[in-house]
Amino acid sequence: MDIAPPRITDAAAAPPQIEVAGLTKLYGDLPAVSDLSFAVRPGEVIGLVGPNGAGKTTTLRCLAGIIPPTRGAVRICGFDLAQNPIDAKQRLAFFSDEPRLFDYLTVTQHLTFVARIYGVADYQQTGRQLLEELEIADKADKLPVELSRGMKQKLAIACGLLHSPQVIFFDEPLTGLDPIGIRRMKDSILKRARAGAAILISSHLLHLLEEVCSHVLILKNGRKIIDGSLEEVRQRFSEQDGGGNLEDAFFRATGETKGEA
Amino acid sequence: MLGALFFYQYHSWLNRLLARVRRLRQPKYLFGAIVGGLYLYFYLFRGFASSRSARPAPMPLAVPAELSDLPQTLAALGFMVMVLLAWILPHSRAALAFSEAEVAFLFPAPVSRRTLINFKLLKSQAAIAFSSLIVTLIGRGWRGGSFPIHMLGWWAAFSVFNLHLLGSSFAVTLLMDRGISNWKRRAFFLGGAAAAAAGIYLWMRQSLPLFPSPSDEGGVKWIFNYVGQVFQSGPLPWLLAPFRLVVAPYFAANWAQFLLALGPVLAIIALHYFWIIRSNVAFEEASVELSRKFAERLAAMRSGNWHAARRPKKAARPPFTLHPAGRPWVAVFWKNLISAGQYVTARVWLLLVWAAVFGGIFLQTQSARGGGGLGLGVIMFVGMLLAMSLFSGPQMLRNDLRQDLPVADVLKMLPIPGWQVVLGEVLAPVAMLAGVQWLLILFGAIFFPDHIAKHAIPLAARVSFALAAALLLPFIDLIALLIPNAAALYFPAWYHLGKEAPRGFETMGQQLILMFGQMLVLLLSLLLPGAVFTVLLLCANFFGWPLLGVVLGAMAAALLLAVEAALGIRLLGGVFARFDLSAELL
Repeated sequence: MDIAPPRITDAAAAPPQIEVAGLTKLYGDLPAVSDLSFAVRPGEVIGLVGPNGAGKTTTLRCLAGIIPPTRGAVRICGFDLAQNPIDAKQRLAFFSDEPRLFDYLTVTQHLTFVARIYGVADYQQTGRQLLEELEIADKADKLPVELSRGMKQKLAIACGLLHSPQVIFFDEPLTGLDPIGIRRMKDSILKRARAGAAILISSHLLHLLEEVCSHVLILKNGRKIIDGSLEEVRQRFSEQDGGGNLEDAFFRATGETKGEA
Repeated sequence: MLGALFFYQYHSWLNRLLARVRRLRQPKYLFGAIVGGLYLYFYLFRGFASSRSARPAPMPLAVPAELSDLPQTLAALGFMVMVLLAWILPHSRAALAFSEAEVAFLFPAPVSRRTLINFKLLKSQAAIAFSSLIVTLIGRGWRGGSFPIHMLGWWAAFSVFNLHLLGSSFAVTLLMDRGISNWKRRAFFLGGAAAAAAGIYLWMRQSLPLFPSPSDEGGVKWIFNYVGQVFQSGPLPWLLAPFRLVVAPYFAANWAQFLLALGPVLAIIALHYFWIIRSNVAFEEASVELSRKFAERLAAMRSGNWHAARRPKKAARPPFTLHPAGRPWVAVFWKNLISAGQYVTARVWLLLVWAAVFGGIFLQTQSARGGGGLGLGVIMFVGMLLAMSLFSGPQMLRNDLRQDLPVADVLKMLPIPGWQVVLGEVLAPVAMLAGVQWLLILFGAIFFPDHIAKHAIPLAARVSFALAAALLLPFIDLIALLIPNAAALYFPAWYHLGKEAPRGFETMGQQLILMFGQMLVLLLSLLLPGAVFTVLLLCANFFGWPLLGVVLGAMAAALLLAVEAALGIRLLGGVFARFDLSAELL
């Protein structure tokens, strides 16, 4: 399958699906994220990168409504996450690096549960298609304990995509997947983006982000270094030293050197 | 090499201790430590401290002089049974319990098997010493004697058993490797035990009168004498001889006797040690698997998720069909009923109802024939179970927020209001508890005797009280279950949630505080409904309709309880919506 980042021009005119303004999260007195602002429009895939401890996971958890920000506002599809959490959450999906499942529910029971929570009327057909697409249809009656890590992740993905979210957050989406799973995950991300979803991916795998992202946001010590289209970020940091890829841009933006890393 | 392992063990222990001491800077741990310390002092140490002062020691258990040897013989018999079980029960290969970190660091390291075993045995000594101290403190009133002798006696018995457990597991593994299946091995040991029991029985038939009647010697002393004869003559003393040696140090009356008894035990320990070291058994693979399972179980237990600690092996059937349209909280309720396992299905409950109805009818008939004495006893027992269910039920049934808070991030993402999450979570244990209580009420109502001490109990009275109880209990259950869930949300650190849940006696103090707090809140919440029930009952009684008063009073009280519960659920919903995982669980 053709893997190419979604085109930026398609989305430029549409209103943002994710709007973040002045997001700040403190753990005690320690700022994990400071005054972060950005927007993601339909069809855009934005890569969230930064060194360990940069605040990527905290940012994602704040955007998904799992933890409350200390300051700032988050709007999902126009709904303020603090004021209208139900409407906002109805439109998003969050995939953590470690699949979070209920030990005692089977694969099918997970989908049934999610369908009732999100009110997905035709969940049986959609669910079956998702399980087949993710190649776990034969595990429908299995408990999570009977699934491999990759299969658990696929189940978490099936649950997250069942209600066709317009906003999707991925935290290290390729962890634990085999090469075929990685390829399918990339395809799936691009497919959802082309269908109009706004996607935010946090990952250390810069080559993955180069393949699937239209935009990049670099964080360091909880602060935004830069955000923009992939091309803009590359150009901005290639002007000084003449480097050409995201990895070079990342190292220059964060002030690291490859040798140190 | 052992030096490095001791370094690791010593610093692990020291760092853990320092972390706990530092934790006391937080008031919640300091307060818990004070309460836990006071509890330990009053329950365990006060008697010990007072026995060293002028206070008299606790009264030991009285054993007749001619049977003074019986406790040791019984202890030896118990030890023999434990050893026998160690050969019968194992069904998998030998595995030494290492932590995941120990497996990761030690197994690939240039450390010999012998060193690993030595390390494991020496490490187990810390646990054995602590267990010995605790059981000595708990059992100090059982019989008189010296505290250190008893503690060393426990240490000797625990050490031998620990070594034997390891040695037998190695031997069982060797038998497996030689193609001797578990069932063949079990048949051999069970057959041996049965042959020994038959031999003793035959000897008893030939040498002793079979079970003399109580009137021969009067009282219950005849039982002791008879048992004493069985244990002191014939084949049993010979069979028990090695096991008596192991428990002998505990029963030593003074230090001289103790030292004499300790010699053979040390020889037994040395023999076991050489047996283990000489056993050429590959335990590494099974140990890796065991450490993984142990880590999973520990993580689940530390997160308060005891249910998940016993991971489900079999998918449970859903209690009802969940349709995609409808109130979302029903999905949470449905999910938590599934988590209760196979017991929450319509078939199981129908069977239980059948048993309650027909059991009640059958026993009622039997009781009536026998003069009704059985009836009162059973009714009192049912009443006791109902009362216990109110206090123990909410602690035992934890398939609610207490189970799910470790995955609170998943719940937080659900697009439903907080109160619906709380309602769905709490209703599952309420439904199960109320179901059990209704069964008891049904059984009790059917079984309840017509007369108690010449007082007639009309059917209308029985039905009225049963209806009132059936109406009230689910709402009381709901409030009783909301309280620990509220505690879990307000004090998650005290409820052992998250990845790094604390342990130690300060957390025991916290648990005690929570338990008393829960009881107090439950009693307070019952005050107003209880008062309304009483007033209505008295009014109805005044007008000559006491039974109507029972039902009307129960209905009014249930309504008040429902309002209290609704307010509680709304309040907790708000708390859940604001619940900051980053502040509490990470």
